[in-house]
Amino acid sequence: MNNPQKKEGPDQDLRSLLKAQHKRVYSICRFFANNYKEHQRLFANIISAASQSIRSRRGEESKQVLLLRACINMVALHSITLEMEPAVDRSIQFKSPDYQKNMLQFRERMGNISDFDKMRLFLEFEKLSPGEIADLTGPLPSRNVVPKEGIKKNFIPYLKEKLIWS
Amino acid sequence: MELKNLQQYWDNFPEISMEERPVLSSDLEKIVVRNPLSDAFYLKKKILFRIIAGGLLLLYNLYQLREQYTTGGGDLDRQVVIFFTLGYFVYFHTRLLLFADYPALLALRLMPFLQKVETILDKYILSFGVVSILCGFYALAILEKILFWYKPGALLSMNNSGIYKWLIIIFLSVSFYILFLHMIIPKYKKLLVAVRRYKNGIAARPQKK
Repeated sequence: MNNPQKKEGPDQDLRSLLKAQHKRVYSICRFFANNYKEHQRLFANIISAASQSIRSRRGEESKQVLLLRACINMVALHSITLEMEPAVDRSIQFKSPDYQKNMLQFRERMGNISDFDKMRLFLEFEKLSPGEIADLTGPLPSRNVVPKEGIKKNFIPYLKEKLIWS
Repeated sequence: MELKNLQQYWDNFPEISMEERPVLSSDLEKIVVRNPLSDAFYLKKKILFRIIAGGLLLLYNLYQLREQYTTGGGDLDRQVVIFFTLGYFVYFHTRLLLFADYPALLALRLMPFLQKVETILDKYILSFGVVSILCGFYALAILEKILFWYKPGALLSMNNSGIYKWLIIIFLSVSFYILFLHMIIPKYKKLLVAVRRYKNGIAARPQKK
């Protein structure tokens, strides 16, 4: 009952896209992975996240945008997970001496920048315009917002916040 | 200038060696079908399990409620409270599952994505409150069964004084909540704090580029 035509459908398109874009995914791992294992895990997670997003696509977003969103969201989760493991070795360790040397030099040149700056840098290297970058990150909250703690909330806004999830 | 140098360096970056190349194209077939979220972030199975368990308990509760109503049993008030608690429990988890929308979660933009992950974890932690109330009710039901077999007299005296029954339920519920607070909730709380800190870190970025 296996239909040979089935493999040629959207799944095949997806696989072709991921195969064509895998270098892009490798390259974002340079910013966030410190060794082979992390690199492998992050790469696999991004690919599966991208495939999941593309399969369940509902809006007008292009596959390229969904792939980049998957990259950014997965590196954020990767960083959060690493942050929760304080004992993890953060030194750069790759088997290939050439790759190791380049990674060390690249990280040195990049300096100690935040994850968000790394993401922006990656997107700029991918030749994305500021508008496209903003579309991937979403609206950032204003820095002048007064922290919620310490403010006595009225009952109705409090109830609204509890009942409406955003 | 510095950015230009870095861009040049980036463009000439060597390929990762074949021995370290994370995934070959043949492995892509396996990767595309696996779940990218780790157990800590992927709560779908746990929420689904709770909805199914809550649904089954609700059915059993309806049967008991009907039995109490037709026989004029003295346990009707407790069954009514369990009915509403279970109804809320199922509603809360169904709403959480629909809100989480796991297949489309990773397609969100970064800030809405982090916001949603934070809300899911926050609501999941809150759900332990309802779980502990239900645990209190069902622990008392088990206790009553045990008493029925070993000390029927004690069961009769407990059933006759309704206030003690409710006090026991409150005591058991609080005990279960304290147990969850020490055994299960810290894991999710730690994750929630990490997500919140990460999100706030992005929001508090320096203005200069």
